[in-house]
Amino acid sequence: MTDDTPERIPTAGRPDAGYEAFVRLLVEHEPRMRAYLRGLLPTWPDVEEVMQNASLVAWRKFADFEKETNFAGWLLTIARFEALKHRRNVARSPLVFSDDVWESLANEAESAADSGSVRREALERCLGKLPPNQRELVLKAYAPGAHLKEIAQQAGSSEQAFYKTMQRLRAALLECISRTMAQEGLV
Amino acid sequence: MNDEQLHPLIAAWLDGRITEENSAALQDMLRTSAAARSEFRRWTQLDAALREQVDQSAEAALPKNVVPLPAPAVRFRMLGWMAAAASFIALLSLSALWLHDRQHTTARSLTSQAPEQTNTGCAILTRSTDAEFADTKGLRVGDTIRPGALRLTRGVAQIEFFSGASMILEAGASLELVSPWEAVCHTGKVTVRVPPPAQGFKLRTAGMDLVDLGTEFGVNADAGGATEVHVFEGKVEAHPENAAMQLLSTGQSLRRAEDHTLSPGNTRPEDFPSIEKLNAISSTHAKERYDSWWQHMQKAKTDPRLLACYLFRHGPDDRWDRLVENVAEPRVPSRSGGAVGVRWTEGRWPMKDALEFKSPGDRVRVNLGKDIYSAITLAAWVRVDGLDRKYNALLLTDGYDPGNPHWQIYEDGRLMFSIAYLAPADQRVNKKNNQIYFSPRVFDLTNQRRWHHVAVTYDNQSGEAVQYLDGQEISREVSPMHQPGRPIQFGPCEIGNWGLPTQGHQFPIRNFNGRIDEFLIYQAALSPTEIHELFEIGKPE
Repeated sequence: MTDDTPERIPTAGRPDAGYEAFVRLLVEHEPRMRAYLRGLLPTWPDVEEVMQNASLVAWRKFADFEKETNFAGWLLTIARFEALKHRRNVARSPLVFSDDVWESLANEAESAADSGSVRREALERCLGKLPPNQRELVLKAYAPGAHLKEIAQQAGSSEQAFYKTMQRLRAALLECISRTMAQEGLV
Repeated sequence: MNDEQLHPLIAAWLDGRITEENSAALQDMLRTSAAARSEFRRWTQLDAALREQVDQSAEAALPKNVVPLPAPAVRFRMLGWMAAAASFIALLSLSALWLHDRQHTTARSLTSQAPEQTNTGCAILTRSTDAEFADTKGLRVGDTIRPGALRLTRGVAQIEFFSGASMILEAGASLELVSPWEAVCHTGKVTVRVPPPAQGFKLRTAGMDLVDLGTEFGVNADAGGATEVHVFEGKVEAHPENAAMQLLSTGQSLRRAEDHTLSPGNTRPEDFPSIEKLNAISSTHAKERYDSWWQHMQKAKTDPRLLACYLFRHGPDDRWDRLVENVAEPRVPSRSGGAVGVRWTEGRWPMKDALEFKSPGDRVRVNLGKDIYSAITLAAWVRVDGLDRKYNALLLTDGYDPGNPHWQIYEDGRLMFSIAYLAPADQRVNKKNNQIYFSPRVFDLTNQRRWHHVAVTYDNQSGEAVQYLDGQEISREVSPMHQPGRPIQFGPCEIGNWGLPTQGHQFPIRNFNGRIDEFLIYQAALSPTEIHELFEIGKPE
């Protein structure tokens, strides 16, 4: 983790100690929850909505959380339940996986050991290694509210070619991240 | 599983454009292959990480003064929900502030042209004696330690957390560093010293969490699950699992047995690692290393190929303090050096002298005579403290006349050996042919302020310059301008500077910043094995 502040034990008698502890934990585990939910929900708006719901539920139940046990696991369990609830309300579409596939993805993602913070550092480094125009393209594609079709047009390429490029860049980034993390002993 | 089939499907799903048919194909793969699911997870994690990255970049691009206060938290996607709850706002402004700083830091490295160097450590290895680490082999004094496992299998080590807390570990200690403020001790013995700024440092063990309220305590976690804490000085909050917090003061100890019973007692400082023990062990160890080096050098200095051998031993009868004796045998006193500006300091071991080069005028002057040679070796133990100049001198002849060798570290951390000759008559345009040999980049912030062995050999027949770092060959090259048989000549030169350039030149500043405690000059090209041996003889640990 890259947290640069102390995680102190909440002091009894200070009313906001619990809030502070909770916010810190939540902020720390936010990337993990986001990555977890992204693998379970069809679109980013779905992810955002479920994250908000899960965060609220987690706060309400925070008193039940046993300190010093695994907060990430606790949070992901809540997130999973919220994701499941959300799933019932979304319309059937090719983006929505069948129940059995969803189950195994959810099970494995919960137990898969991964650390969002370490990946992020590797990601930054690997983005830095891309040629500037390609890096630009990736960042544009992930900008909030981006429309991939428009970006493709601006880049002067066909939609198909653009999607292909994005796929190739993602694969290249993943490859670089694995290599970086292995080299740096981050895995 | 076939990535070529799988990747386009995952990408299409992520982009929200997957067809009914492809979705079925993707789900089939995910259903039947764990490897496919694992790959799917990697792609979705990347998707999330990129999203987060871009959010932060956009964030950093906002001018600071338009950030709406007092609810900066709404700028964070997830924390938006909290802004709705009024009771959170005051608190969030605070946490958002440090978040804001942190995110600026991460985003900056992405957007700026020349990214600032970053580091993800939480502690530094400050001392180690005969130490061997299980998962982090090659960890050396001065290295930054990242959060994660740290297991000491041999020796004693001291680490300093960025918070200010320091910890001494004994062989057998298995730790997990969490942050500058927190570590977990799975098994073994450690002693922690916490100065005022690090108060609140937390050490967790299997059955007990310890919060240091200042000064010193020891922890022993045995493999069976029992934990003991001993407070040598100050106060420690012990939070045993499923039991009330106990405040322990100087002289008190608390043991939590395997069966979870708690028993108070007195401290036994002798059972724990201490700074005194570390000092004793490390000075014994250093003495052994030093003695072994000294023994070997007695033989090495009689090597007939040696032109000069400077071991940087501060002579007790040198009242002026300025003599850098050439101890190569048979003795040639005229090749002894004269120290200018530099001051005597500690070398590779506490009992070893070294010269420290700091100011632009600091140097050691030597005169190696007008003899000419057909091959040379330069080998030195140096501690680079910084690369302040474009060229940072190791050994330079006063001028740069034909056949004069120059040995320096270039500003980007590459070792650089050069030697110039007049261009052949038919190509002469009033210019020298400058044969320059660069090594790969070897010095950066991670290995500065540590002792390294550097060496270069040059042979005027083959024209080959071979460079070494810590006994390993790092480059071997023949200059295209090489012509066999041209003589090499030193004459008057300087270690650590270039202060007397040929007349009419500008006065470049090339002073070395760091320490040197051994410098050998041979009139032959030593073999890789011989260079490696010099490193092995002299390595600090």
